[in-house]
Amino acid sequence: MSNVSTPSSVAGASDTVVLIPAFNEAACVGRVVENVRSHTGLAVVVIDDASTDNTVAVAEAAGATVIPLPAQLGAWGAMQTGLRYALRKGYEIAVTMDADGQHLAQTIDQILAPVRNNEADVAIGACTERGSLLRRIAWVLMKSTSGLALEDVTSGFRAYNRQAIGALAGWRATLLDYQDIGVLLLLQHEGLRIRDVSVEMCAREEGKSRVFHSWLIVAYYMCCTLLLGLTKRTMLTGKRATKPC
Amino acid sequence: MLAIVTATIGIGVAFIIVLLIRRDRLHVTHGLGWILVAAGFAVIGLFPKVIDIVARAAGVSYPPILALTLAVAILVIKILLMDIERSRIEARNQRMIQRVAMLEAELRQQQKSTAQGKTR
Repeated sequence: MSNVSTPSSVAGASDTVVLIPAFNEAACVGRVVENVRSHTGLAVVVIDDASTDNTVAVAEAAGATVIPLPAQLGAWGAMQTGLRYALRKGYEIAVTMDADGQHLAQTIDQILAPVRNNEADVAIGACTERGSLLRRIAWVLMKSTSGLALEDVTSGFRAYNRQAIGALAGWRATLLDYQDIGVLLLLQHEGLRIRDVSVEMCAREEGKSRVFHSWLIVAYYMCCTLLLGLTKRTMLTGKRATKPC
Repeated sequence: MLAIVTATIGIGVAFIIVLLIRRDRLHVTHGLGWILVAAGFAVIGLFPKVIDIVARAAGVSYPPILALTLAVAILVIKILLMDIERSRIEARNQRMIQRVAMLEAELRQQQKSTAQGKTR
């Protein structure tokens, strides 16, 4: 594994926060929080999406600040809560990652680098190798309908600067259900620079994907996402999406 | 017979709407639209010739289809408006839930730091 960080290796740690939305991830979230804290020394905020297990207690015991949602908002709703919190607390950069152990704390500095160096407003940790056949088909359809030329449009491992946090904390992003096409098109529409950064990822440790585990849910998700991609794309008044950044 | 049924439906719906507004079960702005629909029913029921006159003026050869088309169009518009309103309420509800959660997180942090201060 490359670029392994030590606790003090992330420069400017006080202005950066790691946001981890979690729903019934008691089995993994503690380890994920501990890994992030030990490898980066960054503040960690877990957004609990109304879990029914002891995710809150485990995350708090591991040293995270927990935002307990009183009702389930879904993955993006929880993520937006974290972004609003980051904005409220004055953080300059927010890193988002999954609670299931797929995203490696050791690679956080890789996605932070382009944002810190002002080469991009948003960096996406891309790992196209993780894609199952179903996920690859979904990627192709999403990219062709939305016009986005990014490698891994569904990755939740991202770094946002304050401008991007502000754009995503607003009302327009509230009605989105997922963090993929809608979020990326909104960022692109705001004129923000988005960059893919190839990173290593693991298979999830516990549980299953909220979307890619049932054909019925995938079909519904794809219909919504493709419609969103098509409608938002046409509204980009001539801004044919080119490869950002 | 059909005219009587339609007029009765219109008057009945109007009565229910008034009752719902009186008992604060329906917002007056929503009630207004439904009262108009009910009035339309009553008018068509009591004076069915109205549709024939309007259809002739509009160049529709089979008048009943005009009534049906208008009814469907009104219903579609109403449902669309309801979904727009629902989307707005969903967004507002979601942002309130987010705000409550953020405030709760801050409260928990304050309580934690207060507890730590006491133990020292």
